[in-house]
Amino acid sequence: MNADELKAKLAKYRLSADEFEQIRGLLGGRDPVGVEWALFSALWSEHCSYKSSRVHLKKFAFKSPRVLQAMGENAGVIDLGQGEKVAFKMESHNHPSYIEPYQGAATGVGGILRDIFTMGARPIALANYLCFGEPTAPRMQALVDGVVRGIAGYGNCVGVPTVTGQTEFHSSYNGNILVNALALGLVCGDEPIVTSPARGVGNLVVYVGAKTGRDGVHGASMASESFGADSESKRPTVQIGDPFFEKLLIESCLEVMQKGLVVAIQDMGAAGLTSSSFEMAAKGGVGLKIHLDKVPLRDSSVGPEEILLSESQERMLLICEPAKLKAVQDVFHHWGLDAAVLGEVVKGPEIELLWKNDVICKIDPKMLTDHAPMYEREYKPWSAKHKVSALSVGATKFPSLVEQMASVQGTSREWIYRQYDQRVGGKTVRDCEDSLAAVRLPSGRALGLVLGCRPAVMRMDAQVGGYDAAFYPALELNAKGFEPLALTDCLNFGNPEKPAIMSEFVAAVEALAEASRELDTPVISGNVSFYNETSDGNVTSTPSTGMVGLRESISGIPASHFVKAGDEVLLWRLPGVSYVSDMRGEVKAFTGELDPEALERWFDEVRAVSPKARATRVAGKFGLGYTLARMCTDELGAKAVKGDWAGATPAWSTEHLYEVVLVGDSSLMAAVKAACERSHSHVWRLGTVEKGPLTLDNETTDLKTLRQAYKTGWSKHFAQLA
Amino acid sequence: MAKPVGILRFLGTNCDRDVWQAVEAMGLTPQWLWYEDQFAVKDYQGFIVPGGFSYGDYLRCGALAAKAPVMKSLGEAAAAGYPVLGICNGFQILCETKLLPGALVRNESRRFIDKWVDLNLVNPTRWTSRSQGAVHLRLPIAHGEGRFVMEEAELARLFDNEQVWWTYGDNPNGSMRDVAGVANEMKNVCALMPHPERAMFDWMGSEDGRAIFSALLQ
Amino acid sequence: MKIGVKILPKTEVLDSQGRAVEGTLKNHGKAVNQCRVGKYVQLDIGETDESKALGKAKEIAEFVLYNPLIETYELEVVKK
Repeated sequence: MNADELKAKLAKYRLSADEFEQIRGLLGGRDPVGVEWALFSALWSEHCSYKSSRVHLKKFAFKSPRVLQAMGENAGVIDLGQGEKVAFKMESHNHPSYIEPYQGAATGVGGILRDIFTMGARPIALANYLCFGEPTAPRMQALVDGVVRGIAGYGNCVGVPTVTGQTEFHSSYNGNILVNALALGLVCGDEPIVTSPARGVGNLVVYVGAKTGRDGVHGASMASESFGADSESKRPTVQIGDPFFEKLLIESCLEVMQKGLVVAIQDMGAAGLTSSSFEMAAKGGVGLKIHLDKVPLRDSSVGPEEILLSESQERMLLICEPAKLKAVQDVFHHWGLDAAVLGEVVKGPEIELLWKNDVICKIDPKMLTDHAPMYEREYKPWSAKHKVSALSVGATKFPSLVEQMASVQGTSREWIYRQYDQRVGGKTVRDCEDSLAAVRLPSGRALGLVLGCRPAVMRMDAQVGGYDAAFYPALELNAKGFEPLALTDCLNFGNPEKPAIMSEFVAAVEALAEASRELDTPVISGNVSFYNETSDGNVTSTPSTGMVGLRESISGIPASHFVKAGDEVLLWRLPGVSYVSDMRGEVKAFTGELDPEALERWFDEVRAVSPKARATRVAGKFGLGYTLARMCTDELGAKAVKGDWAGATPAWSTEHLYEVVLVGDSSLMAAVKAACERSHSHVWRLGTVEKGPLTLDNETTDLKTLRQAYKTGWSKHFAQLA
Repeated sequence: MAKPVGILRFLGTNCDRDVWQAVEAMGLTPQWLWYEDQFAVKDYQGFIVPGGFSYGDYLRCGALAAKAPVMKSLGEAAAAGYPVLGICNGFQILCETKLLPGALVRNESRRFIDKWVDLNLVNPTRWTSRSQGAVHLRLPIAHGEGRFVMEEAELARLFDNEQVWWTYGDNPNGSMRDVAGVANEMKNVCALMPHPERAMFDWMGSEDGRAIFSALLQ
Repeated sequence: MKIGVKILPKTEVLDSQGRAVEGTLKNHGKAVNQCRVGKYVQLDIGETDESKALGKAKEIAEFVLYNPLIETYELEVVKK
């Protein structure tokens, strides 16, 4: 190979010159040959190897006693006690969704579901975190429509309810939308948790599910590349999902696992057969012998390299004992699926890939997994550029409540969640309309689920934003009586080779790690998506999170809106950081800092007091005014006045990390006051719930106008979408 | 001892476990009826065709399920006067099998709709025999193809024949004459688009589904 | 031999997809008198005789491919 040939090959397989030298070193001084190029291309891509993030993800390595399975498996699993365990994980499908929104989002849902049921957990809930650009940005209306239809089309058909979500809009996502999907599954009683390390020499390697085609060939490396001017040409690599097939896969896989027929199993996701087989072998410390010509094909012209790289959906790889093969095949045939034997487990350490009895590759899988590059990308220790000693607001004109309720940031997302089946499965207690989701466990307890990370806070400061990605959802759970248990995350960032981006990444990861430690909510699974950038710029660094919590009972969960006229409206705050944002989600400055230890102690008090409240709502974007407006119903408003809880900045528009509104009868105040003494927090009486308008000091907004603005705002921004 | 209630299962049915849960909540014994197998009608007291996406809703909702072997036995059960309930996709399957009149097509909005609806009873049937006179129910819908259509004159005859079971208070999908559920002439085969199995307990949002399932209690 | 089965909604039934497309075309200055959206099913039938192939396709169409209550269908021989 001459220099030009090498350059072309490196470009085709998206490997750097350094990586090429590393590969030669691993191969004993020789160049990679044949399919080895494709293997390294796929498994050493950012998406599969986490080469730019691994060194920092180690900061998440802390477990609580509840953790049964942490990172390193397909999904994290925590023990809820009483024989109930929950598996959950969040994953991104950003680049494919930008290219083909329906299928990108649909296959994102399909992929995350497989990560859950491959553990032996029956999926019981889906959630999604979406970041779009401005509604007026090119293609954005079609992207919103396509993504929502794709999530709905897949989730509804496969029969898993979508119970909560978060949808953000900002210009930084104009060229790169974020589509993160979260799935949660249940394992009960004696049901096994099945892991992925292959083992048992002589055991069979079995392929189950859909036939393999050319979908997504080179997809993993696409996700590791930014979008340039030739994004159009990336179109052919989009995978097509079939939720009907996935439903059959869920039932058949759970059945073979529950019958004890499976030794190990993994789904074929990014880099399909390659990543699943190599990871299963490497983790198990064994080798495999795989006959690629035995892979069921949709198109007989597909060759070995394409088979290895194909990202055809709805496929799993499992290991079973030869004596159990017939039983395995019977179950799959019952559900209308094929189970094809591809090969067997061997002592190893090499994996042998054969094509019609010719060995086309023999390689130690650890070279591609354990020895994948680990980069220490350049970054600087965090310095808070927007921190000031005192907030000054000057002559800024603030949007009115009505404008906030109608803004794209603040308007109702009902148009979105009306398209999701929120109740299939018969477990949904709180759905998309509420500030968090809750499902009923077989034991009668409630499992809460809420998403975290606020891009506006991240733009203000990546470190505060990283803390917020754990603290805000934790407070939301505590305010409804749920004890937060664990986190999953999806770290969406721009180009890690740019020090400014990497600095934000490290700051956010370290803050998230510290917060999760303090809260005793380990990060048990997650995903990293880098290169969310175009020539025009990168996205807001967005470390989205999903947090689960447990509540002893499904009854008595406080509402998120006013319930009874005459109730007192209280404000309970632990002072920390304060800031003011404008309607576009821009924050120019903030003051103060967070005290993680104090926050954790206060959160416990909030949880203890919550059963006494009829309604609770964590104050969030736009500040207290908007929070109270969101609590209004068609009949109930409130009368509230400024007190000494307000500083020098506008009382109703300043955001404080953190504060929560509690509503209840006159006995509530005493309970909160007692809790304040134990937690260095403060409580004030804001006012009362009334049958009538919302009055903040002297400004009155009638309920009809408020509610109309909230309900119809969406249709004004998305006029093209019916 | 009461005979079991048969719950049909096709490839892609996904509300089957919810219906199982509802039948058990009524103190009855559910049993699966797999799409490939015939069954002995007399061994059961009633049958439910659950909702979901049988065969992915491919070609037409319920079209492929209607050809399944189990539907032969269900036809016999229907003819013999056994109570048969179709829910959502079950309604679509029963129409495709011609055990019920009409057809369900795409919602007028062309979007899937998940929401709570108010239903008005138009005519009592075998499946409201123990509903204690309930004439209004609040149940959730979740469907993309729930618009009921029939040739106009035929639909008028359906009303005249007292075969229209429920109508929507606020039509969510463009169904002709707000039809939400219908029955056959014998009124033993009934179906509706909303999901009664999703309204069995207060914590689900409503217990109104019991008004329908209670018909199985003898 | 390949036979195409063209399935369209009956004119009496509201074709919501067709209506939506009509609206979009109108908004872009490409208005048409009517647009109906249906589906096309292609059957690769193991017959070399055209009338036999059409016969089998008719049987299949009437067995499951179309619902006479709401759709109409037409067969065509797919020329290479």
